[in-house]
Amino acid sequence: MTDHRLAWILLAPALAVLGGLTVYPALWVLWLSFQYRVPVFSISRWAGLDHYAFLAVDTRFWNAAWVTGVFTGCSVALECGLGLAMALALRGQSRGRRVALALLLLAWALPSVVTAKMFEWLYHPAGGLVNFLVGGRTINWLGDPDLALPALIAADVWRATPFVTLLCFARLLTIPADLYEAAQVDGAAGLQAFARITWPLVRPILLVALLFRTLDALRAFDIMFVLTGGGPAGATETLTVYAYRALFQTLQMGFGSAIGVVVFAFVMVVAVAYLWVINRQDQTA
Amino acid sequence: MARRPARAVLLVPLLLLALTAGGCGERAGSGALVTLVFKHAKILGPADPLPGLLRRFEARHPGVRVQSEALTWSSDEQHQFYVINLEGGSPPFDVMMLDLIWVPEFARAGWILDLTPFVPAAERDAHFPTAIEPAVQGGRLWALPWFMNVGLLYYRRDLLAKYGFTPPETYEALAAQVRRIRAGEGDPRLDGYLWQGKQYEGGMVNVLEALWANGARLLDDVGRPFPERERARESLAFLRGLIESGVSPAWVTAADEELTRRPFGDGRAIFLRNWPYALDLFELPDSRVRGKVGVAPLPRLRHGPVGAASTGGAHLAVSARTRHRTLAVDLTCFLTSEAAQRAMTEGAALRPSRPSLYQDAALVARDPSLPALLGLMEKGRPRPITPYYLMLSTTLQPEFSAVLVGRKSPDQAIRDGTAQVEHLLRAITP
Repeated sequence: MTDHRLAWILLAPALAVLGGLTVYPALWVLWLSFQYRVPVFSISRWAGLDHYAFLAVDTRFWNAAWVTGVFTGCSVALECGLGLAMALALRGQSRGRRVALALLLLAWALPSVVTAKMFEWLYHPAGGLVNFLVGGRTINWLGDPDLALPALIAADVWRATPFVTLLCFARLLTIPADLYEAAQVDGAAGLQAFARITWPLVRPILLVALLFRTLDALRAFDIMFVLTGGGPAGATETLTVYAYRALFQTLQMGFGSAIGVVVFAFVMVVAVAYLWVINRQDQTA
Repeated sequence: MARRPARAVLLVPLLLLALTAGGCGERAGSGALVTLVFKHAKILGPADPLPGLLRRFEARHPGVRVQSEALTWSSDEQHQFYVINLEGGSPPFDVMMLDLIWVPEFARAGWILDLTPFVPAAERDAHFPTAIEPAVQGGRLWALPWFMNVGLLYYRRDLLAKYGFTPPETYEALAAQVRRIRAGEGDPRLDGYLWQGKQYEGGMVNVLEALWANGARLLDDVGRPFPERERARESLAFLRGLIESGVSPAWVTAADEELTRRPFGDGRAIFLRNWPYALDLFELPDSRVRGKVGVAPLPRLRHGPVGAASTGGAHLAVSARTRHRTLAVDLTCFLTSEAAQRAMTEGAALRPSRPSLYQDAALVARDPSLPALLGLMEKGRPRPITPYYLMLSTTLQPEFSAVLVGRKSPDQAIRDGTAQVEHLLRAITP
């Protein structure tokens, strides 16, 4: 048996599992997206590109795409910035590090629906802690279309920052202390040490964190679904919430699948772009 | 296995008996070993009566075991669970609890059993007509009511009495009372009228009630949206006006039942629109508004009737693919029977779908609000009874929400909503 054939035989189980669990459903969704398929009304006919043509002019879809983009950009930027800052702070902390890590993990370990429910009460206009902290004003966090999305971003940042922190912190622990000592001997401290030592070494892991968080944020669902249901006035309706409504609430399997395909395409473009950046880094490094 | 043929022999006469007996009647059980799976939402209240009821059913049907499986809490997730399992082929349950707005959809999809042959007319008539109506599709009965809900106006009896007011019959009167009481109390933390304006099904219910309160409908008899456009416009403008004038706080645009129930329960609002469950909570020993809360029909606007409140509640239906049809129908009949509904009313924070129980001396002694609820339940109105109600509601919710937060004028929302509903209907009518 040649090595080549052996390689294929060894790969076969993995390929079969991936094919069965990922490729087949994905192709099925793509196939559905070319159909009018509403099981309740026994409707099943060819739609061609109708759903995509409708999406192109569907204001609800474009609004959802915009909301998804704003949510992803803001929450991921904040999570990575804050996550790195917290990791650096943790490294500099000598006492209570374990407690700090445990507390951080708590936020990350909570199911996001629980987080969302908790924020529902924090944001409550009449009795919520947030309004109490800003001086007892009744700010209508979730009921005002201009404030609802920022409020959701804040909730997501609270939940997901620890993930970035932990990744960065793990990387920081592996940077040998003598690097910094040597730098200090050479007269490089503070910002310079950060720019020359810490940043280049943390950057690859931060990129991975960025990739994970971006893909997650692009598919954000639970937080808006629980807190606002996509409202008010659709101001927090992301693409996945829209797809969910079409698929599982209104049972338009074909139309919902078309939204799903578009989300998939967005996510793929972003993922490939990130991987390209990460690869290039590896090569230059 | 020597018992197997014996079991089959036993089953034949049982089936024959079942077919001839046909309906919500008492029947003796057989020796067959059967497990029925019953899917339902968790029953809240002081004492869950369900396990006791199921054991009673099992005692009457030897060899039958009922496995009761709780669904997730949120109604959206329950719907999703059913859709995936029923559309997929053989669902892992026999009897299911349905939100009444889903019954026409499930019937149309062929997922639930036609109960018409099993339910005698007298049994049908023993429920509120407003509870039976949503379960009828194409002249056939698809589900039996289990418990019932209706929208209520809660008011602070002590505050209204202090200023010499009676519960308002019109929304104008409600707004005037709010202004007078708030001016008199001088408490900036006392809100006026709380309701549910979040972009979800509950928000839809509140908008529908505002439409009905002005004599407007969402759909006409052939399913076209907003037949009374001018009145609908007035209703939407009225809801937005409640917020703009401060009669309702701006945060009702993000509020669901619980978010409004709590401040009212803390004594921080004069009026509240909510379902009957809130009444039990207001009368708990540690409640701050205990003994101070009254319930009244929802007020009306210029062109509509008083008390046009939406119904809600749960029905029980049988999966069309169940392998134990007779037993599943039996269980459905048993759980919706008067005895079972009595037990549910005693133990859980639920209201029965049978008018007779609202004047039952023993029940009224435990819950004195029952007679007052009777009239309100009778006057309740179902949301549009159509298989595509959920589609309609999901499509229109962002439009109504946009009006409530002031993003769109009522006119614009009605125009955009109409266009979207029409697009939807084109897609589903071949």
